[in-house]
Amino acid sequence: MSKPVVKLLLTLSLLCIIPSFLFALTGDEVIQKMDEMATFETSVSTGSIKTTDRFGTKISTFKAWARGASDSLIEFTSTAERGQKILRTQSSLYLFYPDAEELIRLQGAALRQSVLGSDLSYEDMTEEKNTLDSYTVVLEGSEIVNGHDCHVLTLTAKKRTVAYPVQKIWVDKQTYLVWKAEYSTAQKRLLKVMEVISTVEVAGRTLPSETKIEDKMKRDSATWMTLDSLEVNVPLAANLFSLENLTW
Amino acid sequence: MVGKRNLLLLLVLSFLFSPLFSAVVPVVDMSLMGIFNYKPSTESFHQLMGMDLKISLPSPNSGNVRGEVVLKATYPSGTLTLDDIVHKAYLRARFPSFRLTAGKTRLSWGDGMLFNAGDVLYGSSSTSVSLTQAELRDKTDWMAALNYPLGFFSFFETILIPSTSGRIEDAGFGFRFYTNVGETKVEAGFATTDAGVRKHKPYVSLQGNIGADWYLSSSVELDRQFTASTSDLLVTGGLFHSLYFPGDRTLTLRLEFLSRPLQSWAFTGQEDANCTLLLYPELVYSPSTSLSLRLRTILSPLDLSMNTTVGASWSVFEGFSLVGYLSAPFGQSSDLFNWEGDQRIALGVGASWIY
Repeated sequence: MSKPVVKLLLTLSLLCIIPSFLFALTGDEVIQKMDEMATFETSVSTGSIKTTDRFGTKISTFKAWARGASDSLIEFTSTAERGQKILRTQSSLYLFYPDAEELIRLQGAALRQSVLGSDLSYEDMTEEKNTLDSYTVVLEGSEIVNGHDCHVLTLTAKKRTVAYPVQKIWVDKQTYLVWKAEYSTAQKRLLKVMEVISTVEVAGRTLPSETKIEDKMKRDSATWMTLDSLEVNVPLAANLFSLENLTW
Repeated sequence: MVGKRNLLLLLVLSFLFSPLFSAVVPVVDMSLMGIFNYKPSTESFHQLMGMDLKISLPSPNSGNVRGEVVLKATYPSGTLTLDDIVHKAYLRARFPSFRLTAGKTRLSWGDGMLFNAGDVLYGSSSTSVSLTQAELRDKTDWMAALNYPLGFFSFFETILIPSTSGRIEDAGFGFRFYTNVGETKVEAGFATTDAGVRKHKPYVSLQGNIGADWYLSSSVELDRQFTASTSDLLVTGGLFHSLYFPGDRTLTLRLEFLSRPLQSWAFTGQEDANCTLLLYPELVYSPSTSLSLRLRTILSPLDLSMNTTVGASWSVFEGFSLVGYLSAPFGQSSDLFNWEGDQRIALGVGASWIY
């Protein structure tokens, strides 16, 4: 191979490497992209929460509406919880219990209570998609999860009010879907593991259609969250996220 | 025999409503309890089987008109009227700028699980409640109400309460205004009712968060001439907080108080209708998502008497729970809670199922 050809090949290689250094994503950028891909202008979905333990399975079904990063309304449609609704907007959570016609407003720590005995909290189900507000992020490297090349990131809470002080997440490099997550205490004690079982393509984005969350503090306990239907960027009534609609 | 007749009536009503079953999905909520109790005043033991049955017939959850019929019966019970068995029977219609609710149902005004000075429609100050129930206050009544949204988190509501005597001058009326001022919920309202004697009751209720969720409510009862006696000022308040531990263990803490500050602060002779100070502490510990242990107490600090219930609930299968409780009053004969009269120490074990 002649010197000019070698020189050309080296130059071309440098031209390829330098851009990859210049444009390599930071951990914050991966998280921002991840949040963007999980946030739609509006969405309407139906799904179920299936909780298993030693005695069997309990299933709760719901219908959910969401707008942006912080407004969400969930109505439970299964028998035992029929008509119960949760409205989350900014810093407050409103619960409506139709049997007692009772409207309850909660703030702070109450957001972390379990939803219907599942491994999910109200905060999990209605969380604001602004991860960087609550966590500092370190990009640890890459790993293959279920055949998907993923960024591996460690999230450490900035404030004490989050549900999980430490998270380790595997984010798909192509779709920015979180394939797996490990939730731990501040002392790195593993609490829960989340895995995406199946996905669905919606509006050009890959979203989880079935997710499994295992409680590592208990034997034989897991929660499956399944999306049966999902419509995105659909028109929603202006008063959907209001007390009037919550108590309707 | 009376209880069985009421259950039969409930079943007949259910059959009459059965054509609706094709359009709606009825929900049955039943609890069966074996109850053992001891009556200290007669030093006698008793045993009985108790059942609470609720059949709910909700309308389809669509359109601008919704409604529900809820039939309820308890065994054993005294003679129940049709009005007792029909716990709810209402419709709700949504118009462009307001919402109408009419029939027999409940409007929850104010704040508080047991003590709520803002509940000027039904009253939430009596200690004659069963601390074994999930809902401590669930009284319903006939009414017609209009709800006007003033914003996404504000509204004005007005209610008309029909006369029970048939005379229009005995009808009741009320209204409330609900909004948020900063992080604090502010609610104020007024109700005038006539259950034999005309009473006017204005109230105000605030709710917020200072690490723990808090609420504070106050109401005053005025007579026909809009004058108040010293006994008629009622103040209630409370704190609520949840603690979370690894392994999905939770501990919820609630403390409510009720005070009639202008009443007598004597250490004896306190009575339910005019008790000066009451406390309601509640602890619920859930070592797992399906098991909860509960301690509820109504405490009269002035005479140091209390009514306490310890309970447990284990959600074993979907819709099915095993439940148990132990309740007892503690106090001397002149106290608000005591072992005199019909007071009992009760142990109950059973199950509840909703399907």
